[in-house]
Amino acid sequence: MSETEDIWDVLMVGAGPASLSSAIYTTREDLSTVIYEKGVIGGLASTTDWIDNYPGFAEGVSGLELGEQLQQQAERFGAKIELGEVLGIKDVGKYKIISTTDGDVKARAVLISTGSDYKRLGIPGEAEYYAKGVHYCATCDGAFYREKRLVVVGGGNSAVQEAMFLTKYAIHIDLIIRGDKFRASEVLIHELDKFPMIKVHMNTTTDEIVGSDGKVTKVVGTNKKTGKKVDFPTDGVFIFIGLLPNTGFLKDTGIELDEIGLIKTDENLETNIPGVFCAGDVRSGATMQIASATGEGATAALKIRKYLEKNS
Amino acid sequence: MAKDITIYTTNTCAYCVMVKKWLTAKGKPYQEVNLDETPERAEEAYKISGQLAVPVTVVTKDDDQKEVIIGYNLAKLAPAVS
Repeated sequence: MSETEDIWDVLMVGAGPASLSSAIYTTREDLSTVIYEKGVIGGLASTTDWIDNYPGFAEGVSGLELGEQLQQQAERFGAKIELGEVLGIKDVGKYKIISTTDGDVKARAVLISTGSDYKRLGIPGEAEYYAKGVHYCATCDGAFYREKRLVVVGGGNSAVQEAMFLTKYAIHIDLIIRGDKFRASEVLIHELDKFPMIKVHMNTTTDEIVGSDGKVTKVVGTNKKTGKKVDFPTDGVFIFIGLLPNTGFLKDTGIELDEIGLIKTDENLETNIPGVFCAGDVRSGATMQIASATGEGATAALKIRKYLEKNS
Repeated sequence: MAKDITIYTTNTCAYCVMVKKWLTAKGKPYQEVNLDETPERAEEAYKISGQLAVPVTVVTKDDDQKEVIIGYNLAKLAPAVS
């Protein structure tokens, strides 16, 4: 701690790649650093089966392994990770008071890097069959679908990557894409050719998840070109249709968000509240890449150091 | 008090790792049933939890009562193992 009172130099919200990277820098600058994580250390990246576009891993790296390495590296220099949730942030001038599930904590600067979570479709059956056939984490729940049929919804990198991962278990996958083309990278689209058990359905909406006896039996969609309803018999559905920022805990803080709920920052990655910084997927303008998140984390650390030098 | 803690996991499940890390940090020993290594026990996990998801943590209390916690849910895990 920086003072006789228990005040951390930096408190980071969320232990994803952005803050773990930032913590490597802040701790090496001898800034006392604590990170609060309510979910998975390593963030959404840790739930990803395989990461091929993060520099430094010639053959790629599993999301779990990357998260583990980032954690160990940050802890090696003294970062402390607390498994708890941040509920709010209050600026009281010289420091901030951060309310957490373990009580109030003080810090001179705050870095918000809470990332995002997978969006819900909001269709009938989705909530009813959650974890009983409807899933958002292939690496967690794929193992329940050995020799079964699956539907994967989405046309971006996550949907394509996770559909390929699920072929470890499933015998057939219908990949339903609302638009007329993939949003995934070219490399992943070409990779799909190696998986004949994945059948791609473009221009198809996902309208309803139907089940009986507590288990999913089919997904009903609509072919946008013909207007006809299409049934996809299945044992389960994995949904990867984009990301939703984790900013719910900021609603009473006065921190400015953009129209989709991402945190606005200036060129110093600082929010409208002095001493509160933001990096990674939750930042307005972020490119939603792990490499960008770790880069932003490092930048934020240097900006935080400057802020603390000026305001100590 | 918890007499036994058993976690159903898979190799790639990050939330399973978090449950194990949290229990280790709290000094609580546990047994692990890895469904990638013992796929025949997936049905057992489903019967216990009613869900096709991991992690599933089964806490057996001193009086042999069982509490089942689905997911990485500290609000439920903490009182269950205390």
